[in-house]
Amino acid sequence: MSDDEKTGLSRRNFLMVTGLAGLAAQTGGLVAAGIRTGRDPRTFTGWESYNPGTQFFDRRRFEFDGPAYSPVGSVSRPGHRTDYVFGRVATFERAFARNPDWTLDDPIEGLGLPPDLEAFYREFPERLEWDFRTFSETIPNNRRDRREYGDHYRLAEAYAAGFEAHRALIPSPQSPPEVSDYLRPRGRGARIPEPVPFRSPELAAEFVKELAHRYGATLVGIARMNPDFLYSDGWRGCPPGHDFSRLPEHWEYAIVVGVPMEWDVVLASPHSSTSSDAYDRISTTAFRLEGCLKSLGYPVRTHSPDAGYDLIVPPLAVEAGLGELGRTGYCITPELGGNFRTAVLTTNLPMAVDRPIRFGVAEFCNKCKLCAEGCPSGAISFADSPDGMVIRGYEHWYINNGACYNYWRETMGPMGCRLCIATCPYSRKNSWLHSVARDLDARDPTGAVSSALLVMQERFFDAPDAEAYRRPPHGEFANYRPPPRFLDTERYLDIPVTRPGKGG
Amino acid sequence: MFINGPLFWFLMGVVFLGVGAGFRAFAADRGWVLTWWKGLLALVWYAIFALTVFAFGTLVGENEAAAGLRFLAFGLFLCLVLGIVLWRLMGHTPAVDRRASSPGTPGGPAGP
Repeated sequence: MSDDEKTGLSRRNFLMVTGLAGLAAQTGGLVAAGIRTGRDPRTFTGWESYNPGTQFFDRRRFEFDGPAYSPVGSVSRPGHRTDYVFGRVATFERAFARNPDWTLDDPIEGLGLPPDLEAFYREFPERLEWDFRTFSETIPNNRRDRREYGDHYRLAEAYAAGFEAHRALIPSPQSPPEVSDYLRPRGRGARIPEPVPFRSPELAAEFVKELAHRYGATLVGIARMNPDFLYSDGWRGCPPGHDFSRLPEHWEYAIVVGVPMEWDVVLASPHSSTSSDAYDRISTTAFRLEGCLKSLGYPVRTHSPDAGYDLIVPPLAVEAGLGELGRTGYCITPELGGNFRTAVLTTNLPMAVDRPIRFGVAEFCNKCKLCAEGCPSGAISFADSPDGMVIRGYEHWYINNGACYNYWRETMGPMGCRLCIATCPYSRKNSWLHSVARDLDARDPTGAVSSALLVMQERFFDAPDAEAYRRPPHGEFANYRPPPRFLDTERYLDIPVTRPGKGG
Repeated sequence: MFINGPLFWFLMGVVFLGVGAGFRAFAADRGWVLTWWKGLLALVWYAIFALTVFAFGTLVGENEAAAGLRFLAFGLFLCLVLGIVLWRLMGHTPAVDRRASSPGTPGGPAGP
């Protein structure tokens, strides 16, 4: 009698059973490993790791000789009180407060606006309509909504408040660039020392980038300053009558740094999310870098969310090689997509500048309209390309920032929206799955990969309709994804909460 | 953590060897003649299957369970189609082996 006959199981059958059991074990193991990988904090790619590896995408083969932007018409600089939405709405708000009975049927002169803003509204009447709607309708509605549903978002607001509390510690320039940029931070008026020369611009750039990462930046790039991207007025610390036509001589270079907003929080946009985490972190990072460079004797001005800006960032981020401009009007990077917040340091430290990159965003955005479809304000263009959209002399995607801001003021929680960031297929964590997709797409000249990825994004990933994000009766205050557990008010707080809708 | 740690992947490698041995036994049981290209195709098929399952887990871990399930369904359907093709190819006997197994040919079994 053979051994097989004794046991009733042949060697071959034993191996087959082992193989089948192994297959089941491998399947279970792969699922478990996949879940662990998807949750891995290392895939968050950012401020947590404090090392240069966060800027992991090899840009060299995608670089081209800049500039990325060339004027196609008559160039004008953006106005701090017109193009800059926060400056504009603040000016409008003051005028509207003085004339609360003013309506769109009345002549615009009745608002008593500054001449530049009045001229702006005449050129872009839809901005006046949106700004009027924001203060006459949206904000009063939002006050009522917050009384009714506000408690549901208490933890999201408290979370943001923690980062906001730090804002007061980041100083803003109190005198013109020719003065404040030469003062030590918190130095009580002490000037910076004589500049210490670097061995070469390349080594200076290397040093600056290393430190930027160590100070907390996920992304860093260096560009030459372009005065076209400076505001035409309203620089911080500048008194009335300041000559804004002249670029400060020491603003030769722009160091652009960026960090992501936390991924699980940004996916809970718009109502249970915040930008304050990244605002705080990037402002802190930039302030650290300013302190470092000033201690070496170089004048620096920091433009950051907490300190304020004298320039517009996206074109400088593009020139610095961080990414490409997307349909959403901001820079899309290979590592973080659009999920990052930026700061810029203007200085005269001689540094080797980076080259802009092309990795397929322009072509992808022409095909993909997910951000426009998901935008509850309709601020993002549905056009097939940005051809012909010339703004202040440069051709790029047009964003109606009046409509965008109007929706900001409709949202609950810490306010703001970020839906275009949450819905963008490029805004995905650094897990192997998305990294493979990113790398394949960037290297595919045919566009077939991006088309396939777009189909998968549309078919596989759920998203509420744009109207669902709005307040009742249009919507139900939906979020793109449920908030992370630590922002679940009902789990932690012992207070009565009125749920606004399904997605809240 | 054990899962995703070095020991975990070592054990996954050991289990993979078991799966491979099981497949060889299964092929022998079916009478398939395993050649290098059949082995390679089977390996590719298994890689696609493993990547599908791993991607499902990754999406679940990213709180995108619905997307993960749809991806899994898509991937498993792809595996099913490729698996049917692979099954038919596995039954294909190379010419030299057919000759070798035909009665009366040199190297083959003797005729009646």
